[in-house]
Amino acid sequence: MPTALSLALGPISAAVPGSLYQQIVDAVKREIGAGRLAPGSALPSFRVLAEELLVSVITVKRAYEELEREGIIYRRQGLGTFVAEAGYSRTRAGLRANAEQAITQAIDAGRKAGMSNRELLQTFRDALKSVPGHDLSHRRTG
Amino acid sequence: MSEPAIVIQELRKSVSASFCFGPLSLSIPKGVICALIGPNGAGKTTLMNLVMGTSPADGGCARVFGCDVATATVEVKRLTALVSPEISYRAWVTVGKAIDFVSGFYPDWNPQRCTDLLRLLGLSRSERVDSLSLGGRVKLSLLLALARDVRLLLLDEPSIGLDPLARQQLYAELLAFMRDEERTVVISSHQLGELERCADYVAVVNEGQLVASGATPDLLARYTELDVLLGLDELTAHDGLHLLSRSGQRARVLWDRAEPRSCVSKANAKLQIIGERPLTLEELLVALVKSKSGIRWRPRFGAV
Repeated sequence: MPTALSLALGPISAAVPGSLYQQIVDAVKREIGAGRLAPGSALPSFRVLAEELLVSVITVKRAYEELEREGIIYRRQGLGTFVAEAGYSRTRAGLRANAEQAITQAIDAGRKAGMSNRELLQTFRDALKSVPGHDLSHRRTG
Repeated sequence: MSEPAIVIQELRKSVSASFCFGPLSLSIPKGVICALIGPNGAGKTTLMNLVMGTSPADGGCARVFGCDVATATVEVKRLTALVSPEISYRAWVTVGKAIDFVSGFYPDWNPQRCTDLLRLLGLSRSERVDSLSLGGRVKLSLLLALARDVRLLLLDEPSIGLDPLARQQLYAELLAFMRDEERTVVISSHQLGELERCADYVAVVNEGQLVASGATPDLLARYTELDVLLGLDELTAHDGLHLLSRSGQRARVLWDRAEPRSCVSKANAKLQIIGERPLTLEELLVALVKSKSGIRWRPRFGAV
């Protein structure tokens, strides 16, 4: 029995930063990027997902349209909405681009604070040790 | 684009000596939950009654799925159900008798759905109508509407008297009702957080007039609040800005991006923008009503 998408995506909540629409986009990407939602999997219709997430149909529709524009999901008239073949790689590339951007911003903030490259590197090394989570390079799946 | 669910043209009604509704024109698409919002006495209930055809208009016209509400009264009542805490079912003594009476009128009544709704809403047929709480009366009204197979559901303040759990249940039922794309819901409520979350479309009314309408995300993207330093030139109505509050040269303004001659788009001496932030639906309603209610900035006013 596959996990209901609404449960995998949630909670879509006003208590979480970002618009509800952006939360849905990000959550779908997260699931696809983590390989939990494989290419070819069917997504629920707008109306079914809206009902399950207790959000307006237009919120889900706009989120799906955004994901479709990015080539992560596709729609087939009368059949439904599916995760695109390139969905996984595009999502991974997007997540990687986000990470690179965040690092660039961190460097920028460090420069503004007058930190040297050496201090920045040391801070980065310390952060790698202190932030929970493992180096995934040796156990890549798929 | 398919035909809208509701088309209102120049509709007006003189309600009392002090309140005149309209002329108001509004079109609500099919397949949406439309939030009808505005302050008390804005004309939300009047609008619903006019659409239902329960009170005749003085002028203009309203169509529900193409049927003129003034002439095709039976057809409109067959397609539409109204939910309101104002409707009294006291005359039927018990919930069960009210159900039996109302169901007799409608060929589209679904007894199985009615049984499910009784259980879901925690009502029982033997309960006395006059001992129901306000929330209980709303639930009964909701049950009598949802047990039918209507295409348009009008809900006038349905969340009054409902606890947070019951309100969540109400919205879950409305979203389930929307599974059929031919259906449309118009709902008025002051619980704007919930409406912002569940409504696809918003119509803002004030003093019997339509102030703004559109798809919820579009409307929320159209208006933002700016924190500004005012220059020496006065703001005019053509600047696309509405002053919300002011202290000295520092002011909060509502910026309507749809305004073609907005002075925000071009650098000028009128103001310097310090900050910008999006508005929630509740903040937008307050800002729109404040900005359109004739409050105009004059230098001598100080804080408005």
